[in-house]
Amino acid sequence: MPMVRFDGVSKSYPGGKEALSKVSFELARGEFAFLTGHSGAGKSTLLKLMLQMERPSEGQVFVDGDCVNTMKSSQVPFLRRKVGVVFQNHQLLFDRTVYDNVAMPLLIAGYQPAEAARRVRAALDSVGLLGFERRNPIELSGGEQQRVGIARAVVNKPQLLLADEPTGNLDPELSEEIMKLFLRFQQVGVTVLIATHDIALIERMGHRRLILDHGTLHDSGPRAGFERGDHVRT
Amino acid sequence: MSAPDSPKRQTANAPRKPQAGASTHKISLKDRLNGWAQQHQLVAVETLMRLLTKPLGSIMTWLVIAISLTLPGAMWMTLDNLSQLSNRFQASGSMSVYLKTAVQNDQAQQLLSRIESMDGVADVRFISADEALAEFRASSGLGEALDLLPENPLPGVIVVEPELALPQQDVIALADTLRSESRVDSVELDTAWLDRLHALLALSERIVWVMGALLALGILLVVGNTIRLSIAARVDEIRVTKLVGATNAWVRRPFLYTGLWFGMVGGLVSWILLAIGWALVSGPVEDLAALYGSEYRLLPLSAGAALVLLLGAMLLGWLGAWWSVVRHLHRIEP
Repeated sequence: MPMVRFDGVSKSYPGGKEALSKVSFELARGEFAFLTGHSGAGKSTLLKLMLQMERPSEGQVFVDGDCVNTMKSSQVPFLRRKVGVVFQNHQLLFDRTVYDNVAMPLLIAGYQPAEAARRVRAALDSVGLLGFERRNPIELSGGEQQRVGIARAVVNKPQLLLADEPTGNLDPELSEEIMKLFLRFQQVGVTVLIATHDIALIERMGHRRLILDHGTLHDSGPRAGFERGDHVRT
Repeated sequence: MSAPDSPKRQTANAPRKPQAGASTHKISLKDRLNGWAQQHQLVAVETLMRLLTKPLGSIMTWLVIAISLTLPGAMWMTLDNLSQLSNRFQASGSMSVYLKTAVQNDQAQQLLSRIESMDGVADVRFISADEALAEFRASSGLGEALDLLPENPLPGVIVVEPELALPQQDVIALADTLRSESRVDSVELDTAWLDRLHALLALSERIVWVMGALLALGILLVVGNTIRLSIAARVDEIRVTKLVGATNAWVRRPFLYTGLWFGMVGGLVSWILLAIGWALVSGPVEDLAALYGSEYRLLPLSAGAALVLLLGAMLLGWLGAWWSVVRHLHRIEP
């Protein structure tokens, strides 16, 4: 069973603008892929469909075998707990510490405080921010804030990690550092999909590429180790 | 409180097949329930601290709730005292049993001892026709005119004092029993003014309820509005928590606790206001009672009523929050 499967997915907004047009692809478990395309090509829409932040107008979206678009809203929170998300604007809360930001998914999932503390430290350690627990995210640099966002996305050990322009505001050096971080998560078995328009970076790193062009999807790039489950039908 | 985060559902959703993804940590049901209880505790303490550390924002709400509770509370206390007082009045209502003129004194004495043994009778006193005439002669100054009468027109009277604690309907029943005696002509019981007082008290009680209901609605609106503002101030937080998998119950919880605390603090402040009011009024009331030779003391709000006030306030706060949360929260989606 693939981690993600899109089956003839179209999304049009009121007013007739079609953001996605008959998009089909699969992401195998543990795969690492980039989602790229010009701005407005539908990258964000595609990611949102996997979290039921949007619903497709046509077709079906599966995450971990569950059909997301027909999922009852009471089930959506449990879907979102399986998926870590990183945003370009990192979506951190500035009225609380780094620790509280990162611990939030764990508290929501009902972890004991002691276990949560252990995991928060592990997550902060994995992004190189151990010792930043008591700081307020507003004091941190852009790169550090982005890494706090990543720590929050991975703290609950998600099976799928999505990132929407995670390096959008960062200089090339920092961007590469962040990308290497994502690769490390893939190495421990997490399926990773990163939406970015940073072509130079993608070129350097290799990996599978899903290219969106005005709502249609093209697949390219190496697919090392994945023979099945990542074919593109468009 | 709100529904738990359905721990069962999540376990049912958890994949059973071997995974290629990261190892998922399984949490037992017991740990989940513990976590859930701890979460409630945490949210309860956190929301209370939030209110107490920034009291300026909530002080108006507390006061509005407190005053809305104090008004009907004070009226209730007043009515409670008045009805206690009216019970004393009623107890002092003695009745005059007028005998038929043909009844002889020895027959009257027999009736007297029978009445004396009746339930609820504290004391009886017989005034014979002759005694009554003598009394009338002395008090009216019609001495000589009365001498012209061929016979004594006045009947003998038995004055019956009911027991102090006898409820009013039993006093009336006693009067009815006496009325049905063959030697009794009529029984006079002056309860009309008491009836009026009781009717007035019943009316006032109804007014207190209506007022209470309106003020309760006011509390719902005030808490609802305050919670609406606090939801608006935390839109970002709500979006982020929903994005990382918060259930609706989890998102609702802090707001519901906030409503509960609003009600509780409002209720406690209302207790204080009622106690101050009682302290201010009870002294003068005792002085007034002393002037009437009574040892009457103003009763404070009973423990039961005070508890109802506090729990009612908490319920209203919670309901107000619920109402607001249901109306506004579903619109906030990531």
